[in-house]
Amino acid sequence: MKTEGSGIFVDKRSDLKKLVFPGCVLMIYGIVFVINPAGAAMAFRSSTAILLNLMVPLGLVFTLMVFMNLFLKPTHIVRFLGKGFSSKGIILSAAAGIISMGPIYAWYPLLKEMRKKGATNSLIAVFLGNRAVKPFLLPIMISYFGWVYVALLTLFTISGSLAVGYLVNTLAKD
Amino acid sequence: MKIAVSSDSSNLNARVAQRFGISPYLIIVDPETMEIEAIPNPGAAGKQAAGVQAVVLAISKEVDAVLTGYCSPTAVKYLADNGIDVVAGVKGTVAEAVAQYRKQARAIPARSMDEPDFVGAALLHALKRSGMQIANLLPIFVGVVLLIGLFNAFISKDLLSSIFSGNALLDTLFGTGLGSILAGNPLNSYVIGGEMLERGVSLFAMTAFITAWVTIGLIQLPAEMAALGKKFALIRNVLSIVLCMVISILTVLTYYAVLVWN
Repeated sequence: MKTEGSGIFVDKRSDLKKLVFPGCVLMIYGIVFVINPAGAAMAFRSSTAILLNLMVPLGLVFTLMVFMNLFLKPTHIVRFLGKGFSSKGIILSAAAGIISMGPIYAWYPLLKEMRKKGATNSLIAVFLGNRAVKPFLLPIMISYFGWVYVALLTLFTISGSLAVGYLVNTLAKD
Repeated sequence: MKIAVSSDSSNLNARVAQRFGISPYLIIVDPETMEIEAIPNPGAAGKQAAGVQAVVLAISKEVDAVLTGYCSPTAVKYLADNGIDVVAGVKGTVAEAVAQYRKQARAIPARSMDEPDFVGAALLHALKRSGMQIANLLPIFVGVVLLIGLFNAFISKDLLSSIFSGNALLDTLFGTGLGSILAGNPLNSYVIGGEMLERGVSLFAMTAFITAWVTIGLIQLPAEMAALGKKFALIRNVLSIVLCMVISILTVLTYYAVLVWN
């Protein structure tokens, strides 16, 4: 038997798909370079400057990701989504949304299952709304917009997700 | 201890199914008593996200290990995140697989989570996962940054001013519209948003853009409707559009108020 417990896998097809977009952009660069070499060089310098500015925040993003992967298990929290629109359920749903990572479509089946087990529409809406808050991306946000703006946006986003949860509870009765 | 085995039918003598996600049954076995619970796999039909449905079933049954022929990387990731040991490449009957797993489990001394090698392995795993997550982000991220470079070089501020006029309501509306139809990692929205500001686009438009990017999923709407129901998905997304605009305006007005206050 072969143990795959924590194995790292590489899906080559999806890896290739991810290269299509940057590949297309590079092709555009190639075309622009032929037509307007100075413009292409200016564009490339501008991109390089952006990348260099983001190196330190990206390093912080990586560090936060490591901590989140080490200590937080959102799938565990999702299992405790409550049956009513209670404070405990709201807090757990919001926390699970905030720490959840990865593409949203991977979460739909799990949320569907949780709803079958009694999780309310409102708490699922709170979970989905709070996915907008990405703690591990805060260094990038702060480097661009400043901490005051980021703190306010985070506060209003969390409050907004609770409002959506409440309204979903009213408009789409479970 | 509970062991889940993907299986072709509902008893201990059934063959181990070779695809975890679409196996007809999951048999939950107590290896001490060999009592079983055979559960039809909701993902057996092989529709969208079949593997994740089997994962949810295994997690909800609180099993300690999954034995199967093959398990997708995504399913392995979710199972491992929930502390479930995944053993692939298993052949023979369910009973044989469980017996073999017990034999191997006994050969491995039990470890405490406080032991240094366990902590080291967990850290290594977290580092590997984070490295993969960053590596997954990078191609699109680099493409976006290169595109912004072209944008900066060739799109004039006047053109942007003709779209984003500086009117708070209209800019919020346009920003929300643009963010709603685009999707992907929020990292890209922050970089684009930051550059929008550099090019003179208003904070209202930029805030609405980055908020809509992550809260409204028009591209994912069909998947959300399929999983959570049309009514729920439509109500949630319509409410999110309205709330996105409200959040953006409130955030920017409060931000300006804080700036004036200081």
